Amino acid sequence: MGKMKETILNPIFKGNPITVLVLGICSSLAVTVGLKGACVMALSVIAVTGLSSLVCSLIRKTIPNRVRIIIQLVVVALMVILVDQLLKAFAYAIDKQLSVYIGLIITNCIVMGRIEAFALGNKPIPSLLDGLANGAGYGLILIVVAFFRELFGSGTLFGYPVLSAIGYTNNGLMILPPMALILLGCVIWIQRSIQKDLQEK
Amino acid sequence: MNTNSNVYTVIYTTVVCVLVAAVLAFVSQTLKPKQEANEKAETISQILTAAQFGEKSEWAAKGNTAVLDFYKENIAEAIVINKAGEKVATLDTQSSEVYNVAKLKAQNYSIKDGSEVELPVYIFKNGVTVLPIYGAGLWGPVWGYVALQDDLKTIVGAYFDHESETPGLGGKIKDDPAFRAQFAGKSVDFADAKPFAIVKGGAPAGKTNAIDAITGATMTSNGLDQAINNWLNAYGSYLGGSSEHKCCGHCGEGHECCGECADCEKACDEPCEACQAADSTSTAE
Repeated sequence: MGKMKETILNPIFKGNPITVLVLGICSSLAVTVGLKGACVMALSVIAVTGLSSLVCSLIRKTIPNRVRIIIQLVVVALMVILVDQLLKAFAYAIDKQLSVYIGLIITNCIVMGRIEAFALGNKPIPSLLDGLANGAGYGLILIVVAFFRELFGSGTLFGYPVLSAIGYTNNGLMILPPMALILLGCVIWIQRSIQKDLQEK
Repeated sequence: MNTNSNVYTVIYTTVVCVLVAAVLAFVSQTLKPKQEANEKAETISQILTAAQFGEKSEWAAKGNTAVLDFYKENIAEAIVINKAGEKVATLDTQSSEVYNVAKLKAQNYSIKDGSEVELPVYIFKNGVTVLPIYGAGLWGPVWGYVALQDDLKTIVGAYFDHESETPGLGGKIKDDPAFRAQFAGKSVDFADAKPFAIVKGGAPAGKTNAIDAITGATMTSNGLDQAINNWLNAYGSYLGGSSEHKCCGHCGEGHECCGECADCEKACDEPCEACQAADSTSTAE
């Protein structure tokens, strides 16, 4: 049970895919302008990482070693397209907002990385948890960055006026991708000052 | 079993691909009606927003059925016109038939290369006429709707959408209500070099067919400006402003000039019979 807990908690903080493994940076810069988009993106990535890890783990013993990457890719692509199709049907406005980034989950290194590193060598249930937890770790950072970007860039949270209601002038830089990178850097900085073992000598 | 043999590898990959393709095909077919309904409702809610029947976000909250019902109730006629401004087809308003973005894109090619077009015109019962526009922004296509009053000159409102303009800059064409609000009360003027202008650095005071561009989004503003002008010019005959058809607009081939227009080469004193008939019917309506 202790190992299970470790599988779930590790990717969320100590081994966070964005801040420690530095994977999935591209999409975390692109979809963190607003909290709503970030939340849906987080949920989508959680679903994709969880399900594709589960499926790959289920078929791990049958996959021919020489073509394992492409088989993993097919599974990931399947999940991503399913998520995209479902969003188009049931959350059209959000899908429009996220546009190409849903499709680009396929190229998110976290998904493939976790399948290669974990799912191919572990049983389905731990793999599912590992996938979900890594997706959650990614989503957590996304939401933290999106919180600050939306608050200071547009003066709103989830589209509701917060700072703009008290006469705050929006900071245009917050909306642009470079600021996301700077914020991400700050998050990594904070994490490393708490978790001293991550600091390079 | 030897999972590394060639035969196994080939069979395995084939089976996986076929299975995945089958799942995707099934899901796509199952969800298609719902997705198409969403797209249609999105298009209609944009048209309604342009025509000032409420805000886009309100329509999104009300749901697809409410949008379609409102549209059916308030639309008088949706027609398709050609370059000469003549009605060539009718869109079925009861099934809420509209031109989606893909169709606008196809028409945009025709407008650009000067070939024959089939452009939609949405006419509401309160006299508001909504015309679509489509063009290139900075990163991808921009499109939208411009609503005109029954004089076909005064702008009631507008709504724009885009595929991938920068959020907070070019994205303001969609997200900033203040930008859209500028359109209300302005007018389309075909006597001008450009029927409508989005001016960088601010529209000259007193100019009725120009608005301010978005600061920091020059390329998107220019793209939108071009899209609006290309499409307004394509609608020129319908709106009664194109230089090719300045003769009162009723005269097609085979008709005499009706003489309403000073620029007409074949100026004559009396309207032709066909034009008179057309005039009297339009007045009667």
